[in-house]
Amino acid sequence: MKRIGSLLSLALVIALLVSGCTAPAPSSTGGGEAASAPAETIKIGGAFNLTGELSSLDVPAANGAKLALAEINAAGGVDGKQVELIIRDGKTDPATVANITTQLIDSDKVVAMIGFTDSDSALAAGPLCQEAGIPFITAGATSPKLPSQVGDMMFLTPFGDNVQAAVGAEFAYDRFGPKAYLLWDKGTEYTTLLADYFKTRFTELGGEIVLEDTYQSGDKDFSAQIAKAKSLGEQPDFYYISAVPDDIGTTVKQFREAGITGPIVGGDGYDTPLLVEVAGDAANNVFFTTHALMDADNGSEAVKSFIEAYRTEYGHDPENAFAALGYDTMKLIVDAIQRAGSTDGAAIAKAIEETQGFPGVAGELNYSASEHVPRKGVTMIEVKDGKFTLAAEMVPEKVPAP
Amino acid sequence: MDDSLSRPVSVAQPTTWQRYAGVATPLLLLLLVTLYIQGASSAYIQRVWIILGLDIILVASLNLFNGFTGVFSLGHVGFMAIGAYVSAILTLPLEKKAINLPDLPAWLAHIQLGFFPAILIGGLAATLVALAIGRPVLRLSGHYVAVATLAFLVIVRVILINATPYTRGSRTFSGTPAYTTVWWVYGWALVTIYVAWRVLRSPYGRAMLAQREDRAAARSVGVRVLRSRMWAFGISAFLTGVAGALWGHYILSFSPNAFYFAETFSIITMLVVGGMGSISGSVIGAILVVLLSEVLRNLEGGFSLGVVQIPPLYGMSQILMAILFIGILIFRREGLLGGREIDLTKLFVVDYWRSVFRRKEV
Amino acid sequence: MSFFEYGVQQLINALSIGSLYALMAIGLAMVFGILRLINFAHGDLMMVASYTALFLLIDGFPFLGAAIVAVVVAAIAGLAMERVAYRPIRGAPDVAMLLTSFAVTIVLENVAVLTVGARSRAFPAPPFLSTVFTLGNLTVSSVNVVAIVTTAILLVLLTFFVRRTDTGISMRAAAEDLVAAQLMGININRVIAYAFAIGSGLAGVAGLLWAAKVGKVDPFMGFSPVLKAFIAAVIGGFGTIPGAVVGGYVLGFLEIFLQGILPGQSSAYRDAFVFGILILVLLIRPNGILGVQEREEI
Repeated sequence: MKRIGSLLSLALVIALLVSGCTAPAPSSTGGGEAASAPAETIKIGGAFNLTGELSSLDVPAANGAKLALAEINAAGGVDGKQVELIIRDGKTDPATVANITTQLIDSDKVVAMIGFTDSDSALAAGPLCQEAGIPFITAGATSPKLPSQVGDMMFLTPFGDNVQAAVGAEFAYDRFGPKAYLLWDKGTEYTTLLADYFKTRFTELGGEIVLEDTYQSGDKDFSAQIAKAKSLGEQPDFYYISAVPDDIGTTVKQFREAGITGPIVGGDGYDTPLLVEVAGDAANNVFFTTHALMDADNGSEAVKSFIEAYRTEYGHDPENAFAALGYDTMKLIVDAIQRAGSTDGAAIAKAIEETQGFPGVAGELNYSASEHVPRKGVTMIEVKDGKFTLAAEMVPEKVPAP
Repeated sequence: MDDSLSRPVSVAQPTTWQRYAGVATPLLLLLLVTLYIQGASSAYIQRVWIILGLDIILVASLNLFNGFTGVFSLGHVGFMAIGAYVSAILTLPLEKKAINLPDLPAWLAHIQLGFFPAILIGGLAATLVALAIGRPVLRLSGHYVAVATLAFLVIVRVILINATPYTRGSRTFSGTPAYTTVWWVYGWALVTIYVAWRVLRSPYGRAMLAQREDRAAARSVGVRVLRSRMWAFGISAFLTGVAGALWGHYILSFSPNAFYFAETFSIITMLVVGGMGSISGSVIGAILVVLLSEVLRNLEGGFSLGVVQIPPLYGMSQILMAILFIGILIFRREGLLGGREIDLTKLFVVDYWRSVFRRKEV
Repeated sequence: MSFFEYGVQQLINALSIGSLYALMAIGLAMVFGILRLINFAHGDLMMVASYTALFLLIDGFPFLGAAIVAVVVAAIAGLAMERVAYRPIRGAPDVAMLLTSFAVTIVLENVAVLTVGARSRAFPAPPFLSTVFTLGNLTVSSVNVVAIVTTAILLVLLTFFVRRTDTGISMRAAAEDLVAAQLMGININRVIAYAFAIGSGLAGVAGLLWAAKVGKVDPFMGFSPVLKAFIAAVIGGFGTIPGAVVGGYVLGFLEIFLQGILPGQSSAYRDAFVFGILILVLLIRPNGILGVQEREEI
């Protein structure tokens, strides 16, 4: 048995060496039938956490990107070349995330990379892309510090959390008043940053946080926090709750059940059908900042056709904002390659920096050499009668420093 | 099932040179493979090789406690986290410290240590914590230690998330200098294996094994059970902390989420597959699990089997690894090596080969 | 809301969450009592039951019918789990069984991600699980009332079962000494299968109530609650049904109390306190609040 073990490991080493050298490209979601014999393709890396805890965010992003890819290739690809999206799974594990990034760069020879919806993974992958001179656009990580932490090859598709938090603070201050209750999930970077930036901008405006409370990722019972909020002598003008998409329906539901009827305000984590599906009527009087009005009836033409295509392909509505962001990211990178007229990393990065007025499903994207976090309007959504409706489209007056 | 490698061969004591050769062979092999990989392989293979080295340290040091004392710790990843964060904070360049960790107390904000001292301090910090919690917890018996150390793991995570001035909380800790190289990793791996081997042959090691086999009997001959466990826990925590530091300076960006159940289970899988109590088992377990899961992961994206096209099945590698783990527990509970060691010294003993070939002739 | 009302409300909250923990902990304790197996995959049985009910409800089944099928499916899944993964290693060290259950969890969660997808889905709870009772400033959700009542009924039923029925008595015998029970002619496999079926069915019930409370299901939904149930079972005295119930309520009170009194951001340390108390209980009363003292210290 010992010998079998040793032999097995030896065989594995050899298998790995061979497989690593010949590098089988997995899941080449190529151009379908048209690309059955691709003479030459443009390879783009898609690094997502398709399994593990982050899968509920990354799978929609990957789905959006695949949808965009099919459309791009149906329309002829780039200069007659088909585009290939090589998807690899980071498994919500830092070592694996770095491994797949290296594989995409080194073995698959991708010319650009997209993916991930969290800063942990984006920061594990970003520096490797930077070193290789390959542009990396994250489909969903929203920390505005990312480009300064990684370098000039790092771009974001979503706005930074500081921008949407500023809009949330300004909108709520004007509309509801200067007294806020703040609840946030202390277990994720996104919810922590959103709460921090909101607090900064809101107190700057002259607002006051009357009570601040936290919970941990995984908590599904908010009754203690709610009772604490209710015990306030005077109820605040509104409740700012910073939560991830998977939690928000539950949170709103429990707040409303406990008799809190005031406006609830939040960020793009709310942009999921779950909010209304889980909370039902309780979701009314909820406001949130996001990228675009994602509604199959009231959205823009682009949004409507995106939702329609997504439904056809996957059998359900986009799960959250990351679906549209993944879609936009794929379209953006291909557009940049087209404009660059080259697959050279620096040229593509330059083309992304020159992007002006790019019509994404989730809002118009503008970049420049100093803005790798896109300049992008923020959409304020109000939930009315169980429907997402447009409350405002805003650009914040002042954005907290990243 | 051929057990000849571990079965005692009835020959005269191996001579000194034979013993040296037995130790030198695997080292030489390791050196050659590492040199080959450094020179001729893709960046990906180099990466896997380094991760493998880190896992060898983690498994071998976990084995030093779990395997030698028979008491099961589920909290070692907490020590890994301590090592990683302590060393990362100590080595972070001052200008990055000012930006990333503005609320650091002054004495920490103005120091920047080299890699080696930072690793040592990371390991020592883990040891200190281990000794503090070990004193009460290691008195417990059986799976109560597992439960208590699991609780310790959760507590470490909660503290990391809340100690924002030091760790940035749940936000990604980034900017860690990229110091870890393949030589650092395998250097420490050798140190770990050597330490484990020395411990095993020391009086303390004998005490650990004695109380593992029969606590009452061990105590009756004067073995101080708690003390031997504490030694194992402290040394093992130190090495795990070192591995955490090396890991941090290799992965570079991490958050408390990295040090939780997934990592815990991955290391334990390697330990159990290789066989608890065996140092060579730890190494073989790490090699098998790391390489097998990488191979499986590369197949997950879908591949072609002649006529059949296998579609992408993400998650399949985790499923298969877990099934392998259950299979090992069912069919070979003691792990591949069953607590024994591979001793290559025999390869240099003429009688061994005689016995091998004789058997072949039959 | 006056201070008094605040206290009462938090008391209600503690009872509510405590009874859900208790319900989950009973299932864990049933199995632990006999096999000394901490079944981490208990949470995944909750997940299996919730998804079964969800798909049946989508197909238009009435809730009660869907719930019964879901609980039965959970029980069958638990039996299958026992047969495939736990029976072959019976008699192994406790830790080996615990690790096996971790592996079973990984298998089930990833199979769920592969088959039903990683996304969360809304769980359509029927009105009797989703109404809210209000009394002045105080509120209590009906799912919590149902949980309290269910826990009480099950506690009575299970106590009757293990005290009065033949199977129950053999179960207690097996819990006391598996080998001796076997020597007495008790069919161990049958008794263990009963324990697994009942424990897993309870996981199913708890899963449905949990899904109704949270309002949605996802492949990882069982992980966090089972960790809580596990603490509850240890605090209360592992392996005893009343102990699990007591542990569940103690944990519920601890959580709500700590969240309620810890000021501002320090409330985020709540789980550190809870797990710290868990370690303390292990040190002071290793067999829990209600556990029989079989101190085996070194």
